[in-house]
Amino acid sequence: MANDTEPLGKEALEDIVLTRALHLDAVVQGVATGLVVGLAVFVATNWLVLKGGSVVGPHLGLLSQFFPGYRVTFLGSLIGFGYSFAGGYAVGYCVARLYNAFASRRDRGRHRGITHPSHERR
Amino acid sequence: MTDKQVVVLGGGPAGLTAAYELAKFNLRPVVLEQNPFVGGLASTQTYKGFSFDMGGHRFFTKVDEVQKIWHEVLRDDFLLRPRLSRIYYNGRFFHYPLKPLNALRGLGFWKSLVVAGSYLWWQILPYREEVTFEHWVTNRFGQRLFRTFFKAYTEKVWGISCSELKAEWAAQRIKDLSLKTVLVNMFVKPRNTVKSLIEEFHYPRLGPGMMWTAVKDEVERRQGTVRLNAEVVRIVRTDRRIEGVVVRGPEGEDHISGTDFISSMPVTDLVKRLDPPPPPAVMTAAGELKYRDFLTVVLIVDRPQIFQDNWIYVHDPEVKVGRIQNFKNWSPDMVPDPSKTALGLEYFCTEGDDLWTMADADLIALGRREVDRLGLAAAADVQDGCVVRVPKAYPVYDSDYRDHLDVVRQFVDGLENCQTIGRNGLHRYNNQDHAMMTGILAVRNVVLGEKNDLWNVNADQEYHEEVRDEILAAVVAPTLAKVDRVALGLSLGLTCGALLWLATLALVLKGGAVVGPNLGLLAQFFPGYTVTLTGSFLGLGYGFLSGFLAGWTVALLRNVVVFAFMAAMYRRAERQALRRLLHYF
Repeated sequence: MANDTEPLGKEALEDIVLTRALHLDAVVQGVATGLVVGLAVFVATNWLVLKGGSVVGPHLGLLSQFFPGYRVTFLGSLIGFGYSFAGGYAVGYCVARLYNAFASRRDRGRHRGITHPSHERR
Repeated sequence: MTDKQVVVLGGGPAGLTAAYELAKFNLRPVVLEQNPFVGGLASTQTYKGFSFDMGGHRFFTKVDEVQKIWHEVLRDDFLLRPRLSRIYYNGRFFHYPLKPLNALRGLGFWKSLVVAGSYLWWQILPYREEVTFEHWVTNRFGQRLFRTFFKAYTEKVWGISCSELKAEWAAQRIKDLSLKTVLVNMFVKPRNTVKSLIEEFHYPRLGPGMMWTAVKDEVERRQGTVRLNAEVVRIVRTDRRIEGVVVRGPEGEDHISGTDFISSMPVTDLVKRLDPPPPPAVMTAAGELKYRDFLTVVLIVDRPQIFQDNWIYVHDPEVKVGRIQNFKNWSPDMVPDPSKTALGLEYFCTEGDDLWTMADADLIALGRREVDRLGLAAAADVQDGCVVRVPKAYPVYDSDYRDHLDVVRQFVDGLENCQTIGRNGLHRYNNQDHAMMTGILAVRNVVLGEKNDLWNVNADQEYHEEVRDEILAAVVAPTLAKVDRVALGLSLGLTCGALLWLATLALVLKGGAVVGPNLGLLAQFFPGYTVTLTGSFLGLGYGFLSGFLAGWTVALLRNVVVFAFMAAMYRRAERQALRRLLHYF
């Protein structure tokens, strides 16, 4: 009965790719987004610090309205990294959790009452 | 254990390996071989001191058990030989798979340009329906390349026109092209396979027959029996048990009984010789299983060297020969006189057809004419020759074979004390090592009571790679699942909307002379938006809308890229599957 078992494994894989939606790991997504945003703020801040000038980073400095204590200085870049990482993490985590919830719901809707041929008893 | 009397039907690689393993368990197997020699499809024939191999058998494997047997049997007579096999077409040698520079040199600039143009043309405007093999290959390689490198050889191998060969045949060949194969292709490039397997192989000093003669001797040394010229004419059964076999030999017929039977004879013959016969449906199914045969015309040429390859594929449609072996390049000891070369011209045919029934002298004359025409050797240099016919060399995988084989298999599996092994015993394209493995596993089933499924010994992939592939595919496959566009749109939309809403509210609550002058600039893109309580709700809507659009688009683009990438990988894996098949012949 090898023929019955061999394609089943194969179809199970193809089932995943062709009929199921990708699901995201919320923590991984959060960390990834947090790191990207955090590093972006860190690099942008230090870029302006190194560039110098009479008024350093007047526009980026507006972030202090949301990130209390943030300034366009090296120390500020570290504070900005912390805030942005936390914010990015929250956004990434939320997007992933919401996405998974919507995707699962839609998946269930699509597969309700449908038996894939590979799952039928032979 | 010692009360078992195992009878092995067939003295080819699978049967003799089974006998060898049985002898190691101190059993005394009886091997029945209808030919006057051992080795079956992997035997070595001789003519005036020249040895020749029936089809060219490279000894390479990643199956440790098989490797161990080969080395312990032949020791120093097991040579390591360089491998070279190319396509010979229009007087030029081509590497396969084709290498751009080599193909360009061989075909010439203008013809290469036409081939490239044809490939592009058929990629853009392929046959809408792939009815025939010609359609199938043309859609993947272009018509020029099909005519140059596929048409003639395929027609020689199968004996029918490519326009008659159903596309299902090709599709059948790549039926096992699973997502797993594709994923493995993505991450494990073919060139990463063990280099030595591609560029060199082991080979017995006097051809594969040397290996099987040595195994026969070892079986006999351990009290086993190998009977040559012993044709099994009847297999006596009572319901689901085999009681014995009737053997016809030079001294008449006799009956051999046993407790267990391992058969490497063609499964069709096994079924037909059962007494009483199986149900008519099984007989009919067995009758529908087909084979392709071939014959070798050996030419002894009075030249020390003709070409460097171990064998060449002949794609020229003007000649009937399909493949030419150069036995001296397999092992120098195959030729007794270094000033001469022995070529084996292989003609694919079907038992009983014009080629098969042609007189030996006519076949030698045909061979002489064809090597001359191909420019490989002058007819006058051919001094002598002989012909060897090899029946049932290849089980045919036609579009119905699986159904017929299932019927036969179901019946054979129902026989309690009988197992089938080897290429023809299982009607499967098993190479020598896998055929041997079926013999080893069959013995374990008999002696150790294991439940190995012999029908499932993989013909194309190695067992260790299989495990690695499974793991790789299981890990990678879920990451290739499509992103749900609406779900990503909704999640990103809600998050963006909420962020904008919160940011606006935060500034509104903070207050000041001018509230949120910078965030308010968003009004340039979101008409009506202001940093006020009402504006925050408008911002929620705008944020949701723009987030949704961004998420939906990103998901769509990501799915398109993954789909295109996977389609390309499928194509690549398809080509590799086809290449493996061509190499098989």
